[in-house]
Parts: sequence; structure tokens; C-alpha cells
Amino acid sequence: MSSGRQQVTGNVNSFNSWAHYNNIVNISTGQDAERHQIIQWLSPLEPQQRHEGVRTDRLDSVGNWVLETNEFGKWCDTEDGCAEPVLFCYGNPGVGKTYLR
Amino acid sequence: MIDSLCDQAAGKDIAVVGLYCDFLAQQEQSATSMLGAILKQLVNRGEIPGHTRVAFQKAKREFGGRGLRLSEMVEVLKKAIVSLHRIFVCIDALDELAPKYRLEFLESLQEIVQVSSNMRVLLTGRPHIGEEVMEYFNKAVRIPISPTQGDIKSYLEMRLKRDTTPKAMDPQLRADIMRVIPEKISEM
Repeated sequence: MSSGRQQVTGNVNSFNSWAHYNNIVNISTGQDAERHQIIQWLSPLEPQQRHEGVRTDRLDSVGNWVLETNEFGKWCDTEDGCAEPVLFCYGNPGVGKTYLR
Repeated sequence: MIDSLCDQAAGKDIAVVGLYCDFLAQQEQSATSMLGAILKQLVNRGEIPGHTRVAFQKAKREFGGRGLRLSEMVEVLKKAIVSLHRIFVCIDALDELAPKYRLEFLESLQEIVQVSSNMRVLLTGRPHIGEEVMEYFNKAVRIPISPTQGDIKSYLEMRLKRDTTPKAMDPQLRADIMRVIPEKISEM
């Protein structure tokens, strides 16, 4: 009797864990599909692709002086609550604004 | 810039997103699709923000997934940003956005920045749009970008190394290139 019950409980447990496992799989694939749909829906633009191109063509040593300016440092300092939130780097075409590292 | 910020943000709860404006894509680069591209990178990064999901499900029911209007996009983006610790948004070549969209975009960005103390924005562009930027962000910090002599020389060396017709090069020509071009550029 007692061993029969144990067996039943064992089965129920294994069923539960199987169902649980299955749910996780469903949720995660469902979520990825939804994420993909949302991403498509939000915007047709693909800035990551352009970024890869810039990264490949960039010469890492060029323009590093900008990263060392006080203006950039202050803007970047995430703990500084008083820092002005907007930084505008300007220059003529071809000076390398896109390629700052 | 994006990569430097990413290096800095690595392992911390800081989002770094980037946008590139392009003359050739002016039609599709509206204020709404630009803001959408910011949100898209946040969705890609981790958990789908709750309000974004709700807006998506609502849109899907209403008209087979119609896109958000600009005002709706601004609201959804604000809510997604609030839940972040920090966010850096880098926008390259603002002058390449169509003028109509550019003003809408700057206005929307201003609205978002005003309520998001955890947000930093980097804009790059040609000098003539400086006035426009200052209209929306009158305290924006400005940095003029021009290559240093060292930058120009490194760039020339790289280009010469990748020369597709190296036979046409001789030491004298190389020396002239390395001397004359940096001089001319600094006169510009």
C-alpha cells in the first residue's frame, strides 16, 4: 500500500516536472517570437548594421583626443547628476565625426 | 564613441544605443522610425519593457499591427527609459535627416530628455545645424571636431598600406603625400 502510494506520488512528481519543463520551453520560444515581432514592428531601421561597417573601417587611434576632453569626461560620468545631458560634436564633412571611437 | 561607451558600460546596468542618419535613407528615417530604432535596441538588449509589449498587442488587435504614431512612440520610449539605470544614445550625422523630420525628432528627443535624468545624448553633425540643436537644447555642450596632424598621418599610412596599385608608389611620392596632405588639411 505504502509503496503503491509512493509510486503514484513519484509519477505525479515526474509528470509535474515534465510539464513544468515543457512550459518553460514554450514560454521562451513564445517570447523570442514576440520579441522578434516587436522589433520588426517598432522600426524598419537597422542601425546595428551600419555600426558594424563603421567598426570595420575605423582606425582605433584616430580621434581619441575627443575621449580625453573634459567635456566628454563630464558627459560620460554617469554619477554626475548635474552634467548637461546633451553633447554636440560638430565638424565639416569628412573630419571623422562618425569614426570617433 | 559607441564602442568606447560600450566598453565602459560592460558589466554595468547601462544601455548604449546608436542611430546613424543617412541622406540616402531620408524617406524611411522619420522621427517615429528613429525613436523606434532606439526602442528596438532596448527590446533587443533584455527584457521587453511592459508598456512596449502592451502597445504592440494593442496595435496588433486594432489594425493588423499598425505602427505607433509619434506621440505614442514618445510615451512608450519614455516609459522604457525610466526603468533603466542609465542610457547613452548616440546619434550620428543629424544634418542628414530630412529637415521636416529633424525638427520633429529634436522636439521629441527634448521631451524625452526633460523627463529622463538617467539619459545622456550625443549628437554629431555639420556645424550649420548647431543653431537648430541649441534651439532645443540650449545648454548642450559643444565640441568642435577636426583631425589632429597625428590623426591624419595615421589615416594616410593606413590608406597607403592598403594601396591597390603599390607599383605606382615610390619613396619620394610617399614622402610628399605624408608631408603635403596634412599641411593642406590644417590650412582648411
